[in-house]
Amino acid sequence: MANETTNNRKALLVTPEACIGCRACQVACKSWNQLPGIKTTNQGTYQNPPDLASAALNIIRYSEVPSQENPVRWLFVSRRCMHCEDAGCMTVCPSGALYRTPEGAVAYDRDKCIGCKLCVTACPFDVPRYDADGKVTKCHLCVDRIGAAMQPACVKTCPTGALKFGDRNDLISTAKKDGFTTIYGEKDLSGLGTIYAFKDEPQLYGMKQNPSIPSSVVFWHTYLKPLSLFGLGGVVAAAAIHYLAIGPHKEKEEEKEV
Amino acid sequence: MAEMVRKSSVDEIVNHWILAGSCFLLMITGYAFLFHIDAISNVFGGYNSMKNVHNWGGVVFIISLLYSIRHYLIDALHYDADDVQWFKVAGGYLSHKVTVPPMGKYNPGQKLYYLAILGAGIAIALSGLAIWLLKDNAALLLISHLVHNVSFSIFVIAVPVHIYLGTFANPGTFQLMVSGTLSLESAKKRYPKWMKAAGKM
Ligand code: HEM
Ligand code: HEM
Ligand code: SF4
Ligand code: SF4
Ligand code: SF4
Repeated sequence: MANETTNNRKALLVTPEACIGCRACQVACKSWNQLPGIKTTNQGTYQNPPDLASAALNIIRYSEVPSQENPVRWLFVSRRCMHCEDAGCMTVCPSGALYRTPEGAVAYDRDKCIGCKLCVTACPFDVPRYDADGKVTKCHLCVDRIGAAMQPACVKTCPTGALKFGDRNDLISTAKKDGFTTIYGEKDLSGLGTIYAFKDEPQLYGMKQNPSIPSSVVFWHTYLKPLSLFGLGGVVAAAAIHYLAIGPHKEKEEEKEV
Repeated sequence: MAEMVRKSSVDEIVNHWILAGSCFLLMITGYAFLFHIDAISNVFGGYNSMKNVHNWGGVVFIISLLYSIRHYLIDALHYDADDVQWFKVAGGYLSHKVTVPPMGKYNPGQKLYYLAILGAGIAIALSGLAIWLLKDNAALLLISHLVHNVSFSIFVIAVPVHIYLGTFANPGTFQLMVSGTLSLESAKKRYPKWMKAAGKM
């Protein structure tokens, strides 16, 4: 149920190996999108805020995964909207507030959003969050920047090249040439718009295996939606045929029946 | 003037049109949500106000539906041998040559229609209220979304059948939802068992 394919699809490539966990991207995002700070408490980890929030559209996930050679090994992964090609959020949204930009990002029209919160239930990555008015918020790949041929704020600020933005195919082939054996999101959900270059197993970094849209949403989209149209049309057509071919009940005939 | 028999009481007629009106409103706005029909949402002033119309229209619908129980539920739960025979001849709708067994106030098709509307109506209302008011429970939201849409499919099929049978397919039936009366002559022909029970036959 691909929503729409764009020919020159752009993508954001995350290379966790190159990330130093400085969180300049989190700050740049707040700054560009004018988001307030969030008060948090110490949870015994440097990961802060603990998860995505209406004022935190991207976060760095910190996981301690010690290995034989490296007893203090920290892995840093940028977590945010994946800009799925098969975007469960777009499929389920009853107002059409979520839409695809020409670059292939999944952005939203805040005025259209009715705050029903269905999109987060249909998102394989638990991404959408809701602001004080109950309206959707999430990473939109800086729709207002990329539309003007600029880079997303987080990419622009990243000092190590752990975040890159560009032509999706180019990013994938370059990463492969550079020895990254696994591109997470290359094929998942018909291809994600936020992709990750790994040399290790993606699960080590806490990436979700085989992400999928909830089956009830797929069932609804593939069968129930068409049924609600063809069901109505079918009944109207059947009624017309019945009226012409067999005709209505007549009092006269009912006399015979009694 | 011929003697008239009252089939539908005044409150039944008023309630039927509240039920039908709210149901139409919900189906139209529901379609607009399903297929993002901006032309419809603009009539309601955008998706946000259309959501309010849909949600409060739903409240009217469910109150009206629950009120209709006093008019139809008892009849809808009772079936006899003639009802079974009615199904065997498809109510006489597929051929005018078959003999349709004598009917009471409602034929079994109408009785099942009522049960379908009552069941699907309660399901669509409960799931709708959950989507509206309990939206922070993601698991409940997902199941409610499915239930809301399964019941919607039942509505979009059952309601147009009902409208056709209440108008073109059975001339004279529509007035039962306008004046609520019909001539004793017709009543004896159409609802002999009901007329017998009422001592008019
Ligand atoms: C108490 C009754 C009802 C309530 C509270 C209710 C509430 C809702 C809510 C909250 C939504 C999600 C969009 C929104 O927030 O507006 C919705 C969608 C919808 N409703 Fe209702 N509703 C009710 C009855 C009905 C009825 C009777 C029908 C049709 C016969 C209907 C058809 C639909 C459809 C087709 C959708 C779009 C489904 C989707 O996008 O998944 N609703 N309703
Ligand atoms: C323009 C649209 C409609 C017309 C012309 C219409 C017509 C009628 C008529 C003539 C009756 C009386 C049947 C009898 O007493 O033998 C009736 C009953 C009834 N109507 Fe409607 N109706 C319409 C829409 C609706 C809608 C939208 C609903 C519900 C969602 C509905 C629910 C019912 C119910 C529950 C009954 C009583 C049980 C039954 O006859 O099966 N109607 N309608
Ligand atoms: S990650 Fe979630 S919110 Fe982002 S596009 Fe995919 S389904 Fe939508
Ligand atoms: S909360 Fe807003 S964006 Fe999300 S599904 Fe509902 S209307 Fe669409
Ligand atoms: S692309 Fe823009 S909105 Fe998305 S995380 Fe980066 S800075 Fe934030």
